[in-house]
Amino acid sequence: MKEKVKEVKMKRRWGMAIDLDKCTGCGKCSVACNQENNMPIFEDDSDVPKRVAFLELMKVTNDRDAKFPDVKTAYLPKMCQMCEGNDPKNPNPPCVSVCPAVATDVGDDGVVSQIWSRCIGCRYCQTACPYEARVFNWWKPEYEGSFKKSLSTDVSVASRGTVVKCTFCSHIWKRERDAATAKGILDINAVLYTPACAGTCPTGAIVFGDLNDHDSEVYKLTQTDRAVRLTNPVDDVKDADKKKSLLKAKQFTNPKVYYLTSQQWLRDMMRFKKNS
Amino acid sequence: MKKIERKDFLKLGGGAVLGGLSGWVFSGAPFLGFQWLAEWTQDQYVPVKGFEKYAQAVSDSCPAGCKVSVRMIGDRAVKIESKDGVCPACHNALQLTYHPERISTPLKRKGDKGDGKFVPVTWEEAVKEISSKMNSLITEGKANSIAAINKNESLNGQLMEKFIKAAGSNNVYYEPSLKSLTSSALGGYINYDFANTDYVLSFGAKLVEGWDSSADMQKVFTQWKTKGTKIVQADTVCSMTASLASEWVPVKPGTEAVLAFGIANYLITGRRLNSTGEEFGKWSQLIINKFPLAKVASYTGVSEERIKKIGDDFSKAKNPVAVSGKGACGVNASSAEIIAVYCLNTLVKSKAATLMTNSSVTYKGEFAGLDSFIKDGKFSMLFLNNSDPVYKSVLGEDLKKKMEKAFVVSINPIMNDSANYADIILPSLSFLESETPENKAVVSNFKESKDAKDIIIALSKSLDKTKDTFSFASGIDSFKVAGKETASGAKFSFNVDKIKNDIDALDKKFAANAEYPLFMIPVEAPLVGDGDGLAFPYVLKSIDPTVFYKGKLLVQINRETGKKYGLSENESIVIRSARGKLDKVYVHLTDTVAPDTVAMPLGFGHESYTKYGSDKGVNPKKIMAADVDPLTGTADWWSTRVKIS
Amino acid sequence: MEILKKWFKAGYDGIFEGTSKNMRIALYVLIVLSILFGIFAIQILFWGLGYTDMDNNFAWGAWIIGDLGLVALGGGAFTTGYLLYIFRVDKLRPIINSTVLIGFMCYLFTFVFLLFDLGQPLRAWFGFAYPNWGQGVYPVSMLTEVFFCLSLYFCILVVELIPTVLEHKVLIKNKYVAMVAHYMHLLMWTMAAGGTFLSFFHQGSLGGGMWGVLYAKTVWYAPHFFFMAVVAAMAGGTSFMTLVPYIAGKIMKKEVVPMETYQILTRISGFIFIFYFIFRSYDIYAAVYKYAPMGGREFIDMWGGYYGIWMLVLEMLLFAGPLIFLNIKKYREQEKFMVIGASCGVGAIVVSKLSVLLHGFSAPNFPWKGFTAYGPTFQEWIITFGVFALMILIYMAFVKWFPLFPHLEHNEHDAHH
Repeated sequence: MKEKVKEVKMKRRWGMAIDLDKCTGCGKCSVACNQENNMPIFEDDSDVPKRVAFLELMKVTNDRDAKFPDVKTAYLPKMCQMCEGNDPKNPNPPCVSVCPAVATDVGDDGVVSQIWSRCIGCRYCQTACPYEARVFNWWKPEYEGSFKKSLSTDVSVASRGTVVKCTFCSHIWKRERDAATAKGILDINAVLYTPACAGTCPTGAIVFGDLNDHDSEVYKLTQTDRAVRLTNPVDDVKDADKKKSLLKAKQFTNPKVYYLTSQQWLRDMMRFKKNS
Repeated sequence: MKKIERKDFLKLGGGAVLGGLSGWVFSGAPFLGFQWLAEWTQDQYVPVKGFEKYAQAVSDSCPAGCKVSVRMIGDRAVKIESKDGVCPACHNALQLTYHPERISTPLKRKGDKGDGKFVPVTWEEAVKEISSKMNSLITEGKANSIAAINKNESLNGQLMEKFIKAAGSNNVYYEPSLKSLTSSALGGYINYDFANTDYVLSFGAKLVEGWDSSADMQKVFTQWKTKGTKIVQADTVCSMTASLASEWVPVKPGTEAVLAFGIANYLITGRRLNSTGEEFGKWSQLIINKFPLAKVASYTGVSEERIKKIGDDFSKAKNPVAVSGKGACGVNASSAEIIAVYCLNTLVKSKAATLMTNSSVTYKGEFAGLDSFIKDGKFSMLFLNNSDPVYKSVLGEDLKKKMEKAFVVSINPIMNDSANYADIILPSLSFLESETPENKAVVSNFKESKDAKDIIIALSKSLDKTKDTFSFASGIDSFKVAGKETASGAKFSFNVDKIKNDIDALDKKFAANAEYPLFMIPVEAPLVGDGDGLAFPYVLKSIDPTVFYKGKLLVQINRETGKKYGLSENESIVIRSARGKLDKVYVHLTDTVAPDTVAMPLGFGHESYTKYGSDKGVNPKKIMAADVDPLTGTADWWSTRVKIS
Repeated sequence: MEILKKWFKAGYDGIFEGTSKNMRIALYVLIVLSILFGIFAIQILFWGLGYTDMDNNFAWGAWIIGDLGLVALGGGAFTTGYLLYIFRVDKLRPIINSTVLIGFMCYLFTFVFLLFDLGQPLRAWFGFAYPNWGQGVYPVSMLTEVFFCLSLYFCILVVELIPTVLEHKVLIKNKYVAMVAHYMHLLMWTMAAGGTFLSFFHQGSLGGGMWGVLYAKTVWYAPHFFFMAVVAAMAGGTSFMTLVPYIAGKIMKKEVVPMETYQILTRISGFIFIFYFIFRSYDIYAAVYKYAPMGGREFIDMWGGYYGIWMLVLEMLLFAGPLIFLNIKKYREQEKFMVIGASCGVGAIVVSKLSVLLHGFSAPNFPWKGFTAYGPTFQEWIITFGVFALMILIYMAFVKWFPLFPHLEHNEHDAHH
């Protein structure tokens, strides 16, 4: 039996597509993420740079380049972008290689994991992450009194001085797999799942799925012209040879989180260049 | 045998110690010790394990009746999930249910009102005190001095209305909402058939940001996106709705009504359209004379051509609908505005807007609405049913004074600014704790708290006069008698006599004002809304740094205006209106706001809304305009003339 | 109580006896700083890093600057040791004890700073227990390399320092001690060779590789960073090694190290500075024309903000000092210019580390965000300066009680006869 389980190869490569034209900035993804991942509870959480949250609802406007009333606003839910580097078969997120204690790793499903209890809190991974997706517990995570009752047993409570991050709610996948195992299904690839943010999005703006499955909705969305990845300059190089030589010269993040938008200003804002 | 000398003894001892030490190190024990030390010094909490299951719940405290699925670990609720969408309050119900500052027993005031000092009493004592007070007022013939303020039209609100009316008082009011405002202005609230419209003309209604029933609106929005429904948004700031709309009509602050007049004027004179509403002739005469397009253009900042274009598009669309009610969670519109916008619907014979009424809810009492009651009403006894008028009404300070002289009963699960002035506080439940006909309670009641429906029924049973109000003893049965929504059938009237003064006053409102040159308008942050969200830490966790940053509340001001007043980013300013001033607000310069406008976040500045919600920023309602509308009885606070220094 | 009082008095006299008023004030300040260091160290270690102005965006602050500076400047110890023991530049012998002590302290306090920077100091040993070594010979994580190299090099410095301690006038009287000290001196070249290798590695990692491997951060990404840091350490370190005993001598009003030795070291420093300057110029050139465009950004946009261009300009100005004064014999031989040159050299290295760190964190990661500023809190200042104060105190103690300057002892010895 065990042998059989071993033989099964991981097919999945989890990815996400977030439609910014559908996102109304309601913030449900943020609340769901906080609930699901036992985020610490502070009396005043307005020290944003020290805030511990996996999902940041970033407000983006183009008023850097535009004047009233030619302005636009959008909310951009930002979680771990699950970078994979240049080679999807041999993923190399910027944060994983730098960890001195192997507290973070990239799984064969492409998810960048983090073991809270292994982390020594050096914050090298935070330094390496260009998406500010990793947060550090600057203070001891607090859960005053009866708030403790709302804590889930799936995600361990982190201690002070460790780096924590979004894991695409991979514990939900494990939960679903456990449920499947109970029914006798042992194939790791048999079960799909939905992270908290995608599951709660009221407009269906967040789509989650397997990028290796070319029939999946998420894969199809990432192949459209509307797809754009956050500050990943290699995506803008259209010439195939140039792109190849660029990828040879340097690693790029190549995230597995795609944003979808047909608004040119927003696409521009996701690059370090002026609005056209 | 050789005698062991001292030297040898030392050697042996030293060797033993050294060996032991190295053995200890290599055994890994010290490292395990470090691990223990780490765990012990950091006192990490480990959530209690339990059997996992899902429980279903329907909200009986929000008007939308959110249906949620709750993930349970043993008897603890750990996650709220919903396939149908859920409103922010219900989404946060976990943090209400498990709030460390839940009120656990009935409380009786100890110190002065507003001091926040209470002592626990038993339910019997509390009910007895309330009923004896009520009884004496009824026997003295002062029944009408008993009043109640409901948060919304949910079932407990309806029960409260029945109870107070049965006691002989007409004074039942609701916190102003889209429903209450439109009902009072039009004789019924509007049921929008958004699914079948192809053109939405919104007058400052932030449709996707919490307006009306937020969960439903999110769904409607996805439908609009897939169908390509045209959305035209008149707004002063580049809100999400404005940004996602097909067309954004930037208007000067507070001039949405004027824009509606302009479009109506054009449709009546330019396209010869008629409304069937009562007094249409009188109203159209007034508008045509008072608001020629040139004037509308100068007031609103929208060109005549654009007004005509909007009018043409609107009237030519297959199934257009015009929407009034500025704002998101905190809605505000004068009756003149609501009538004008509804008039547009009647002019194009829109099939997407129907007037409705609820058989159990009347929004008018002795006064037209809550603010006129606070302003002019007198009461000896006041019930607050989960409502927080002290915080939410622009006349909150006046209400405080009146509450100091009256006997106030507050029914709510956690403390709020109004309950702080109560004599008796009765702890109610979060919806996860209450039973509905379809579902059992998800978690058991917190300590001695009780369902608001049961509390109201128990109160009515304790009085001779009201003991037959309800034919049932338990709140669960009250679902059978819930109010029904029906088409109002009321003839829409322009009520020209009542709103004429307000329309006349607009000229003065938009005239140049040297003392107060700027307009303050409200904006809302996601989840914070107009203030209800602030007691919940996961809401605090999502507030954008451009709204509230390191304990500082930021107001948004246009860059050009900022330059004119020499403001720099994060600078502290004082905002003054004719009603008072706001200290400790800071500037965020952004071009997403119209010039000469101060965009002020709502929802901050609670005085006693648990330690999570209190003392954060300022409450702008304190200085907002407080002219009470004659039809809705609600203050028209949307745009306030201010100056900054 | 009486005993305590007596001890205190004895200690007080031991430290302050025969010191001038200025010296006494300086000592008071240093001691107060060290005590405050102890107090705030407890706060930081027990209640966490929330008390610093570091945040999720500005993940490292004052202490890592201390680390980078100390490691780079402490690199002078290996250069000097290498020159003395391997190249047999015997004229450097009078300065070697001081050099080794400075090197030792630089690495010791790098450890201290690193420990403070860890969110979980009790888990520091995870770095050895679960090293991120990856597949190859060389570890994947720069910090793993730092853990191992730093520890080994620190051990070597301890060994190198032992003879200085053993040569204390009381200890050396013991014949075993004298013998050990003698043989250790003879074997020192092996230590120097090992130390050079490790320190070379280590310079690269903490000083340079730390930043160069961050491929996703355009502000830092530069594959040659590693090598540049080695050159920087050799250039700046030698200047620093000159400067410290020179200042000590000025305060003591004695010739602790002969001028000749200073001249050799500063000459070497100046020479290496030429290479470093060329390397750094290439570095900026590469950033502007190669790496910034590769990362989809413009150098000039990226180098705005609070710590941008002005730091680069300052660094370039400081370069002039060592390049001119240390390389032209006429100037170098004048004490004044030699000192200015060496100070500017040290300054240039420190500013370059500051700019790498402050600017790198300050530059926005997202196009809609602005540059951020970093203002260390009181705790951070105290811990940073407390460490420097401790270093100065230790150095002073060695000057006072141990034969740190053999040259000085020889002179005094001669004077007696």
